[in-house]
Amino acid sequence: MIHAVIADDEALARAKLRQLLQEERGIEIVGEATNADETFTLVRAMKPHLVFLDIHMPGMDGLDIAAELSQSKGSPVPHIVFTTAHDQYALRAFEVHAVDYLLKPFTHERLISAIEHVRKQISVDSQPTGISTSSTNTGRYATRIVFKSRGRIVFLPMSDIRWISAEENYVRIRTASEMHLLRETMARLQEKLDPDVFLRIHRSSIVNLQYVKEVRTEPDGEYSVVLLNGEKLGMSRTYRARITDLLMKS
Amino acid sequence: MLCCIFEEMIWVACFPHLPLNKPRMPYWQRLWFNLDAELVDNLVIFWCTLALFRGIGYYQQLREKEEAAAELRAQLAHAHVRALRMQLNPHFLFNTMNSISSLIRIDPMAADAMLEQLSSLLRMTLQRGEVQLIPISEEMQFTELYLAMQNLRFAGRISQEISVDPELHDALVPTMILQPLIENAYCHGLSRIQHEGLLTIAARREGSKLQVRVSNSGVGLLPEDGTRAGVGLANVQRRLRLHYGDEQSLSIDELPDRIVRVTITLPLSFRESEVATLTGYGVA
Repeated sequence: MIHAVIADDEALARAKLRQLLQEERGIEIVGEATNADETFTLVRAMKPHLVFLDIHMPGMDGLDIAAELSQSKGSPVPHIVFTTAHDQYALRAFEVHAVDYLLKPFTHERLISAIEHVRKQISVDSQPTGISTSSTNTGRYATRIVFKSRGRIVFLPMSDIRWISAEENYVRIRTASEMHLLRETMARLQEKLDPDVFLRIHRSSIVNLQYVKEVRTEPDGEYSVVLLNGEKLGMSRTYRARITDLLMKS
Repeated sequence: MLCCIFEEMIWVACFPHLPLNKPRMPYWQRLWFNLDAELVDNLVIFWCTLALFRGIGYYQQLREKEEAAAELRAQLAHAHVRALRMQLNPHFLFNTMNSISSLIRIDPMAADAMLEQLSSLLRMTLQRGEVQLIPISEEMQFTELYLAMQNLRFAGRISQEISVDPELHDALVPTMILQPLIENAYCHGLSRIQHEGLLTIAARREGSKLQVRVSNSGVGLLPEDGTRAGVGLANVQRRLRLHYGDEQSLSIDELPDRIVRVTITLPLSFRESEVATLTGYGVA
């Protein structure tokens, strides 16, 4: 059960979250705060896993609250999901390790996806530390990315990306349910990606090996990569040896 | 003429020895002699100088006038564009609000989704501020949101396809130039058919021009649409003309199978400054 605290100075904003979260299984609201002091008191007393934090609040802004919470010694640091009407703090929120950033007004579906991210994060945290640090790539590669897409702020875990294609100065990122166009070059993006997980299969495409079902030889002698959802991507000959290696390993 | 004679009188008075190699003459005689010899020259020089200075004066005035006129035209165009955009926005805004208002009763979840999408659209529009030309990638993000909202209204009955040549993502277009075209596609085509419909939006390069096409299946071009489709289309047309003069075009065709296609072409230009994107990477 995830214990959550709602911190927002607006009663209707708290009511909306309360109502939506009550319908949700596996999450329980352990308190509500209307300003910075109340938030600190509540977090110290209840030690929640998750805080829904408004950015504009009397006393201290949400970003500073988050920073202070993350420095408190002794008690476990709660996961933060920001809820705000302003999108200009997204990068700072990302930097203080917020799990998600909900722009008001947000939908039920958007809230669920934020809670999913929190669940994943909690399960990663609860793993014995040996596993996460045994990977040689920890710290060298990005594990998540922030960008704006269709007016939303997206904090996307890299592991959610299925495949990426290049479109001149842009890249197109595909997840299970969505597609985002980002102004970024393939080369720059590839630098940030863990090469044990993301593999270049073509001049203009990178695939996440977690979602690869098989490598197939087409009747015309060309190779293609088939994803778990049935999507088929063209693969250049030169990349074939590497992918079979990696697939054998995993 | 009188000036020249007067000038000559002063000259003759100042230099009593002139003309050289002639016997001394009284003042009037010398004056007559000089006038006879130099008057024509002087006249020519005088008039030429006068003409030259007046010419420069006129030219400067003309330039100033032209500049003022150009500035005025620019201001006027800007005001027009702004006004046209304002005409588009409230119309679209209140229609959407009305949709949300009715969805609140019928389908609260859909109302919620539409409200979020409308907020995103407003946020994008507000951030854009007074900018008139934006990269097509941004216009398409706006369009995708708008289409998602239309999708809620039409309960997924209409498929939507967007394609933009990868090299064109940074090409500039006037803000919200597609929305009225798409709205027309729904109002006059897609909403009038019971079966599944298709809306396609495609941007491609045509030499030095950018061509954007909005096509929809429906009932073809009906004569009565001429006036009703007019307002939105006329606005688009006016905005294109204000931005690009004669270098743009807008046309409507009916294709087989009652498909209606609107094509706009405009000069291809790309955004020059590198824009700050929000994108960032992190380790959780």
